[in-house]
Parts: sequence; C-alpha cells; structure tokens
Amino acid sequence: MAAVMERPLLPAILAQPRPAGWGPRRRQAETALEGQDWPGTGQETWKYTDLAALKALDFTPGALAAVDIAAGILPEARGSRLVFVNGRYDSHHSNTSNLPAGVRLLNLASASELAHELGTLATPGGTDPFAELNTARFQDGALVIIPKGIHLEAPLHVLFISDQDGGQPTCSLPRLFVVLERNASATLIEEYQGKGRTLTCAVTEVIVRENASLNHERIQRESAEAFHLSSLAARVERDGQYSCRTIAFGGRLSRSTPQVTLAQEGASVILDGLALLGEAQLADTHSFIDHTVPHCTSRQAHKTIADDKSLAVFNGIIYVRKDAQGTDAQQQCRGLLLSPQARVDAKPQLEIYADDVKCAHGAAIGQLDPEAMFYLESRGLAPALARNLLTYAFASDLLAGIPVPSLKRQLRQTVLARTNAEHLETLT
Amino acid sequence: MLSIRNLTARIGENEVLKGIDLEVKAGEVHAIMGPNGSGKSTLGKVLAGHPAYEVTGGEVLFDGRNLFELSADERARAGIFLGFQHPIEVPGVSNASFLRLAYNKKAEAAGRDELDPLEFDDFIQEKIRLVKMDGSFLDRSLNEGFSGGEKKRNEILQMCVLDPRLSILDELDSGLDIDALRVLGEAVTALMGPDRALMIITHFPRILETIRPDQVHVLSAGRIVRTGGMELALELEERGYDWLKAEVQAPAPAMRA
Repeated sequence: MAAVMERPLLPAILAQPRPAGWGPRRRQAETALEGQDWPGTGQETWKYTDLAALKALDFTPGALAAVDIAAGILPEARGSRLVFVNGRYDSHHSNTSNLPAGVRLLNLASASELAHELGTLATPGGTDPFAELNTARFQDGALVIIPKGIHLEAPLHVLFISDQDGGQPTCSLPRLFVVLERNASATLIEEYQGKGRTLTCAVTEVIVRENASLNHERIQRESAEAFHLSSLAARVERDGQYSCRTIAFGGRLSRSTPQVTLAQEGASVILDGLALLGEAQLADTHSFIDHTVPHCTSRQAHKTIADDKSLAVFNGIIYVRKDAQGTDAQQQCRGLLLSPQARVDAKPQLEIYADDVKCAHGAAIGQLDPEAMFYLESRGLAPALARNLLTYAFASDLLAGIPVPSLKRQLRQTVLARTNAEHLETLT
Repeated sequence: MLSIRNLTARIGENEVLKGIDLEVKAGEVHAIMGPNGSGKSTLGKVLAGHPAYEVTGGEVLFDGRNLFELSADERARAGIFLGFQHPIEVPGVSNASFLRLAYNKKAEAAGRDELDPLEFDDFIQEKIRLVKMDGSFLDRSLNEGFSGGEKKRNEILQMCVLDPRLSILDELDSGLDIDALRVLGEAVTALMGPDRALMIITHFPRILETIRPDQVHVLSAGRIVRTGGMELALELEERGYDWLKAEVQAPAPAMRA
C-alpha cells in the first residue's frame, strides 16, 4: 500500500461501486488509479494549470435531477438529441424520433454490446487520471453509430448538463463513444452546460472509418464556477475526414486534451479551438495530432481571447512518425490579450521524424492591431466600439464554419455579449 | 473649410511634415503630389488622426474648429474621410454590417434617423451601383481576401455611405486598372458639391483626368514646394520629380517655425 496521501484524488467518486459493463477496461483504469495523487504543476503537462482550487472542494457523485433544457434545444436536432444530467441518462428530455434506419443514438448503459471498442482509444498509459476515473466509474453516456454509407442530414446533439446538488459540489463523468462506418457522414454536437460548482471529467472517443466524414462541434459553456476536464481520443482511417472544433466559454478551470491519430493513408483532420476567457478563468488545451502513416493532412487553428486576469494555455504537438512521408501539417495559435493581467502561454510544437513532409506552425500573441483600430475609428466608430468589434471579429471568424445555424447564432450572441458588443447584434 | 497653417509632425524621431500651409475651400479639389517619402500620406493620416503621428507645431482648422481637439472617430463623424492607401482586412465582420454600423454612428451624431437592416439594404444597393461593385462583396468579411482594386472600390463605397464633407483619398489609383479608375473617379466626382471638398494624394496625374483638380500641390521633404494648376501635374508626368528636388535644394529653406 502506498504511503498515506495528504489528499487522494476524488475519493468519494472512486469509492462508488463499479458500474456494469466494460469490466476489464474499468479494472485496468482502477489499477492505473491506485495510489494516484493529484497532478501537480511540477509535471510538464500540468505546468500552468494549478488544481489547488479543485483539490480544496469535496465533490459527490451527481444524480439525475430535473432540469430545464429549453435554452439548450437546437431546432435542427429536435429529433436527434440525447440529454444527460450529471452523467445520467435523461430519457424525458431526449428525443431520437428523427433518425434514419440503422443510425444508433442511444445511451451506452442500454447498449454496451455495441460499444466493445470503448476504452481502446482513450488514455493509453494512464497519463490522465481524470480520464481513468471516468473509465473506472462512468454510469452512462452516449453511443453514436452511423452505419456504412449513411449521410445524415440532421445534426446529432448530445447535451451533458451538470447541476450542483443543493450546497454540495457535484461531479459527473460523461462518456461519449462515436463510430462512423465506411462512407458515412454526419455532424455531431457535443455540448456541456451547467449550473453551480460542478466538476465534469468527460471522455470522448471517435472512430472515423474509411472514407467517412465527421463534423464534430464540442461546446463547453458550463458555469463560471465549474471545473471541466475533458479528453478526446480520435482515430481516422483511410481517406477519412475528421473536423473537430472545441469551444470553451465557461468554467473557472477547463482543460481539453484532444488526441487525434491519423491511422491510415489519406486521413485528414481539422482540429480547431476557441477559448473566450474573462475574470480569473483558466482554459488549457493540450492537443496531440499523431501522423502515423504517409499522406495524411492536419490543420489546426487555435484562438484565445483573454481578458481580466484570465490565463489561457495552449500546448499543441504535431507528431510526424518516421513512416509518415508526405505529411501535410499546419498549426496556428493566436492569442488576443485584452488586459495587462491576462496571459496566454502558447507552445506550438512540431516533432518530425520523417524527411519528406510539409509542416508549418506559428504562434502570435498580442493586443489588437492598432492599424485596424485606426481604420475603424477613421470610419466614425468610437475607440471602445472599435475594440469590441475587432474582438468580436477575432472570435467570430472561428465560428463562421459551424454548419448548424441555430448553434452558430447562439455562440455568436455569447461572443457579442462577452466582448461587450451586444449592441452590434446585427453583425450576426 | 480646411486651413492648414505651418503644420509640423513626426513619427518617432523622424520629422515628416516640416511646415505645411494649405487652404482648401468648399467646392474645391486639391491634388497633393510628390515623390515617395515626401510626406503626402503622412499629411492624410495626420488630418485623419492617426495615433502614430505626433503633431509638433502649427494648426489645422476644419470649419473653424481646431481639428486636433477631435479624436479620429470624432473627426470622421464631423465629416472627414480618409481613403486608405492600404485598407485593412477585418475577418469576421461582414462588409454590409460594418457599413451600416458606420452609417448609423454618423447619423446618430448628426441627429438623423438610423437605418434598420432593410432600409439600409435599399440604401446600399444604390451605392454599390454607383461604384459598380458586385453585391456579393457586401456579404464577405470587410476587405478580407479582396484584391487591391476591390479594396479601393470598397473605400469609395464607404465614402459614398458616409458622404463626408472633406475626403482625403490616399493613392486611390494604386492597384486600379484604367476602367476601375474611371468608374471610381466618376463616383468620387459625383459626390462632389459646393459644400464638399476633396484632397487627392497621388503620384500620377492620370487620376486627375477624371477628377479635375482646382489646385495641384507638390510636396517634397515635408513641404509644399510648388502650387499650380493641372499644367503642373502634366509637367511632373513629363519631367518626373528630380528636377524639382534639385531646384528646391538649391536655395536653403529660409523659413523656420
């Protein structure tokens, strides 16, 4: 037995009985968690992300609570929506009436036999204890399977709501498992909302098979008091296209660790991110794009707006293995600082072991362009308005490609409000 | 309308304007010509209120008001327009929305009614016909990915929308082909009137064939060294600027602020 720890990792969560299904994977995760301490800023991957505030709270497992989801409904996904509250399936608010035959959109606990690959992508080597905790104890989650050759018109919406239980901080462990079979295509919205002091440890796994195409929107708009730690593991097979956009608005502390493996030739990924931060918010992105085979393409654009005393961390690794000749990879990180106390720590990283590749990366952190400010002011816009407009534009650019109009509108409204540009609503 | 008296200005340690005197009356078109680095663009930016330039002496009155008491945006709302030599790209803001915002801010300042999106659409359709712009440019982000010529067209569209009293057009002709130059020159001319004035900053007299100037000024090393009519512009086209420089350098400048 390890020495008694000062404060073990989320004991009340791990102490729950092991839920049904995926026994071997759960036991593996439990083993990885044995004697597991909290990650500290001494570790390279947690260098800027101090968990002291999270450690100081006691979280209890969340229960299914009655919530109002009216504001979370997307009309485009009226009949293709799953809702989870504190990690539990909310059948009352879910609606899967508008799905073509063969498409699966259901809760994992009811269909574990369809998700035997669950856990095979996420958290190899136990590097992320919060993902291990999810694997060990998740109660339920969403399963998405798009069969061969199906082109899904309506977007799928998986909404995870975290809700504080009275005065007690609540922890939930949402799980999402997605498979696009050969030649299938779909748009999936994975969304996190919440109220109060909550901790979300989410794990998402995605498999894009040959020539399939997934457009994956990941939206985190939990409360300003929330802690959100999410990991994503995706594998893209031959000629598959995976496009993933992660948007972080909420959370006192949020961390996203997308890992994408380009596993077969011709696979491509677009991995974009936007964090919009104020007050003392911290948003951390640690991404890893793994070019394992020849002739794959990756594009990554990450943007951050940091106001007040907020901190944004971006660490993006593009890893090009020895065999991955003909790799085409581009990574760009841009940060906009709106206050002298705000900080962006950006570390774009290319690790290249092949010799015939086309790779580029760059990072630009700064304030608003004074020439652009003058341009707008010379058209009669007061400095504050010009500043808000440029801030809005910086973020809005990354939302332009969202294929679900109602979602795009909502997110733009949020950006408008957060950049003090509400009175510009006609810009959306 | 505009009185510039012994204006000096610098950027960093570099004194760019070294004593400009210029009087622009309502209804007049003035051409500001001169070689690269003579201070032409600086004059435009100083008048529009670019923060990188420091006015070190002299005064500028616009309709009798001290121009330097107004910020850049106040100058714009008071009726000064600078057409940029290199317009800025602003991804994420649609051209149409921006134009309406700028229009409404000016209308608000003037106590006129603002236009809602539908009203503005009618208004802008008429303006884009004037500059012969394809309507699809309204839906694109402001100047993003526009060619050099389209950016200039968009500058003149903004000028049409804002209907300024004094327009300063900085090298409108650069990046424009002959046909586009004629179209925009005609649009600019159509906006002129007895209570409007124009300053055309240019290297080349070609643009002045469409927008006929009342006066042509030649800037060299931060001063106006010659003033004349259209014949001066044509002389510059024939002889270049070198003869002027040589002539100006010969007698040492006597005036000192």
